[in-house]
Amino acid sequence: MSRFGRRPQLSFPDVGSIEGPLLEVDDLHTSFRTGRGLVRAVDGVSFTLSRGRTLGVVGESGSGKTVLSRSIMGLVPGTNVERSGTVRFSGHDITAMSLDELREVWGMQIALVFQDPMTALNPVVRIGRQITESLRLRAGLDRKAAYETSVALLRSVGIPAPEQRLRNYPHELSGGMRQRVMIAIALACGPKLLLADEPTTGLDVTVQAQILDLLATQQRDRHMGMILVTHDLGVVANRTDDIVVMYAGRVVEQAPTAELFAHTRMPYTEAMLRSIPRLAESSHTRLRAIPGRPPDLATELKGCRFAPRCPYAQDHCRKEEPPLRTAGQGHLFRCWYPVGSAEGDAALAYNVAARVPAALAFTGTPVRDAALLAPNPGASA
Amino acid sequence: MSEAAEPSGAFVSHGTVATGMLGPEGVVATLAPTGFLPKKGKGIGITFWICAGWVLFMILLALLASVLPLKAPNFQDYSSVNIGPSARHLLGTDDLGRDLLARVIFGSRVSLVIGFAPVLIGLVIGGMAGLLAGYRSGPADTVLNAVSFVLLAFPALLAIMVIETFWKPVTLLKLTIMFAFVSAPLLFRVIRATTLSFSSREFVVAARATGAKTSRLLLRELLPNVLPAAVSFALIGVAIAIVLEGSLAYLGLSIGLPTSSLGNIINDGVNSNNLSLNPYIALWPSLYIFLLLTALNLMADRLRSYFDLREVSL
Amino acid sequence: MLRFIATRLVQLVVICFLISVFAFLLVHLLPGDPTLAILGPNDTPAARAVLLHQLGLNKGLLSQYGTWIINILHGNLGASFLTKQTVSNALGVAVPIDLELVIVSQVLALLVAIPMALVAALRPNRIFDRVATTSTFAMLSLPTFVAGPLLVLVFAVTLKWVPATGFNRLSQGFGPNLKSVILPSVALAIGSITVYYRLLRADLIATLQEDFVTMARSKGLSTRYILMRHVMRPSSFSLLAGAGISIGTLFTGAFVVEVLFQLPGIGFQLVNAIYGRDYLVVQGMALVAAVAFVVVNFGVDFLLTVLDPRVRRA
Repeated sequence: MSRFGRRPQLSFPDVGSIEGPLLEVDDLHTSFRTGRGLVRAVDGVSFTLSRGRTLGVVGESGSGKTVLSRSIMGLVPGTNVERSGTVRFSGHDITAMSLDELREVWGMQIALVFQDPMTALNPVVRIGRQITESLRLRAGLDRKAAYETSVALLRSVGIPAPEQRLRNYPHELSGGMRQRVMIAIALACGPKLLLADEPTTGLDVTVQAQILDLLATQQRDRHMGMILVTHDLGVVANRTDDIVVMYAGRVVEQAPTAELFAHTRMPYTEAMLRSIPRLAESSHTRLRAIPGRPPDLATELKGCRFAPRCPYAQDHCRKEEPPLRTAGQGHLFRCWYPVGSAEGDAALAYNVAARVPAALAFTGTPVRDAALLAPNPGASA
Repeated sequence: MSEAAEPSGAFVSHGTVATGMLGPEGVVATLAPTGFLPKKGKGIGITFWICAGWVLFMILLALLASVLPLKAPNFQDYSSVNIGPSARHLLGTDDLGRDLLARVIFGSRVSLVIGFAPVLIGLVIGGMAGLLAGYRSGPADTVLNAVSFVLLAFPALLAIMVIETFWKPVTLLKLTIMFAFVSAPLLFRVIRATTLSFSSREFVVAARATGAKTSRLLLRELLPNVLPAAVSFALIGVAIAIVLEGSLAYLGLSIGLPTSSLGNIINDGVNSNNLSLNPYIALWPSLYIFLLLTALNLMADRLRSYFDLREVSL
Repeated sequence: MLRFIATRLVQLVVICFLISVFAFLLVHLLPGDPTLAILGPNDTPAARAVLLHQLGLNKGLLSQYGTWIINILHGNLGASFLTKQTVSNALGVAVPIDLELVIVSQVLALLVAIPMALVAALRPNRIFDRVATTSTFAMLSLPTFVAGPLLVLVFAVTLKWVPATGFNRLSQGFGPNLKSVILPSVALAIGSITVYYRLLRADLIATLQEDFVTMARSKGLSTRYILMRHVMRPSSFSLLAGAGISIGTLFTGAFVVEVLFQLPGIGFQLVNAIYGRDYLVVQGMALVAAVAFVVVNFGVDFLLTVLDPRVRRA
């Protein structure tokens, strides 16, 4: 089958016969040893995903979501990485696998759709080969079969005239088409789990919708598990079954989608929801951005990581990090003064009265406060 | 990794340069620095200082040659011909009975002068021209650019050989002048390119906006920034010159005897008799040159790593 | 694009023209009467007048230059006074030798440098990388006139594996030809190894960090496949750039090597012509050598600019 040496034999049960969750992530940590110290990019993430279900992972830049998707696969290279925790895929512990065994899994069982097709596709290799190489080297198809399969793949992701496209180079295609090609490549070997890392960033809004629809269709047809990683809550709103919200490497809220939107608990999630501009508002409405920046992950972080930017934060928050608590119905959150609770409301009112800048920004009170412009303590300088 | 191809530059492509005349040493100029610096980035590293010290030591030896307790380099003692290293002759003698240690040290005088003098001249002339041209583009700049382009395009060894044929006898002065003609365009281009890249930066614009005079601007703002690249390439230029002289000597076209440069000594030492009978004749000056070149290259490399001069192109 | 080609061509023609002028002037403007050199002991005023007329040296410079250029464009590069052989004939002998040297030495250099760079790029800054970079650094400090004799000493004199001098044409058999060419090619390859290694390594390291490499890994493709089919391709342009830079090394090195190993290439013939004051030969050969050199440089740079999708054209 493969021309480059024998591959280890692992068994992955077939489509319908799987029992139990497809993917179980248990307290996954991924840290990088850098010159500045240990950067804890993923700091204790746990969730499960079943076949046919979609999980959304939401967070801003630097929240660790991209590292998470790579770390789940075991794709994080190298020498200065520390990884702990367990990831079980289809019954196998992939965190304990050797590189050879992992290569069996990659592409065939788990596939990753990268964020930027312009950099993720080799600029000097034709599209055709970038699709057929997995088909020929991993799925063992001969040249003719691989060609026909790739034509069919391109057609199924909505690319017209696929035979011509196969001979193009990446820079000859439009952004939307490139992203479709990426999806085609990911789906080529029929994986059971698809990790889509910011699949729509950089695309026009109409194209975004098409791509997301495409992903949804493919997932349904192939009965895959899918993880959608994005910074845009709008992307995950109607297309996911569950959502994990990440901040500074930690999971701060985790719930089925409907529950998350209906009963948001974590102030960060609430702030993100509020920051989305609404069509009903007039065009000059000021955007309600979250002031400040995420903390520097290389430093020792004390207390709740969102505290410096949180409108509800109290001293307790700054001293002690809240644990993940459950609010029933599979809803986990990490906050001492959650949204919509009595303590939460009181905390917010207290902060507004004390003219805490984050609270004032949150309630929309204009702030002529220099403190708002100063760098947040705990944020990288 | 994509850089704009500069149509008027001398073969600039891919951030690297293929200027023809550069000999083996010249390639160091065009390669990215190795980036090997001590961890924690503490200063430029001990390697640099060791090399600098070594080079200074060599220069010192050469300068003080007449004062040191060395045997006369040209004294032919037929009673001690082809002796290996011994108590009386620390490095041995050659086929005419001359003490090799003395020959090497006295020979190094010539080689070092040939190495450093033209480059210093080139640095001053080419450097000043480069600063001015880089700072203020104009007709003069275009002309100088074109001239240096042509000068660099013509293979140096060839030109020097041809000139020498008819400009006899070859003296140190003449060689120095010719080498200066070779190094000046190189340094001109390097410094011009570096100056250009700095001129558009904000601190220069700011200085100009506060009404600084051109000369002050050049001296106080631009020069300190251009200096690392200039010095680094100058060191490489010295290495190039030394190799060039050695090659010329090998072809019998260097300074006429009895003045011996190291190249001449090596030339002596590699004719078939000497090579098998007494390889020391060729060995010691070769070793000297090897150490000198290594030191120069290492210094240039560390300088460029330290100041991160990756993008200097000609 | 066409404009780019046109600009480059114009530059090339201008340079070649300037080179011809330069070569011409070099020979004609220098002090020293060529007739004296040629006539030697037969120097009488009458003989000199005859010779001057024969050589056309009594005409004005411009007309001499014109005659020369016209002759060249008709394929007549002049003839040697000493051997009575035309320059074109001499070139016919010399060029294949030089070509063979270039090809063999570069192939050798690539055979060594590519695997080294691949291994080093996969594990940067670890043991192999440091050792490799250091040793190539040392190679850089070994000028050809040092490395050549060293190789001769070890392989020809001591081990007697190959002859020390002389060139065996291909027509005399592949074996003898290889034997006479291998040592000089190794001497020339030493300088090129560093160039290829450093350039390729840097390029590979950069390419390996690209997203498309991670993507290829995520498809489960093997490291060997990724290296060969994804990484080498964009990085191979570094090899082309390296070839361009190597030309510079080769040029100077070739002179030394040809003289050392007595290979009748262009360098060897040129050196002899210079010794013998055979000025027409010097002029003609210098012109050919310089033009070839410039054309190759331009060609490499042009190819790089045109072929590499990552270089933006101004």
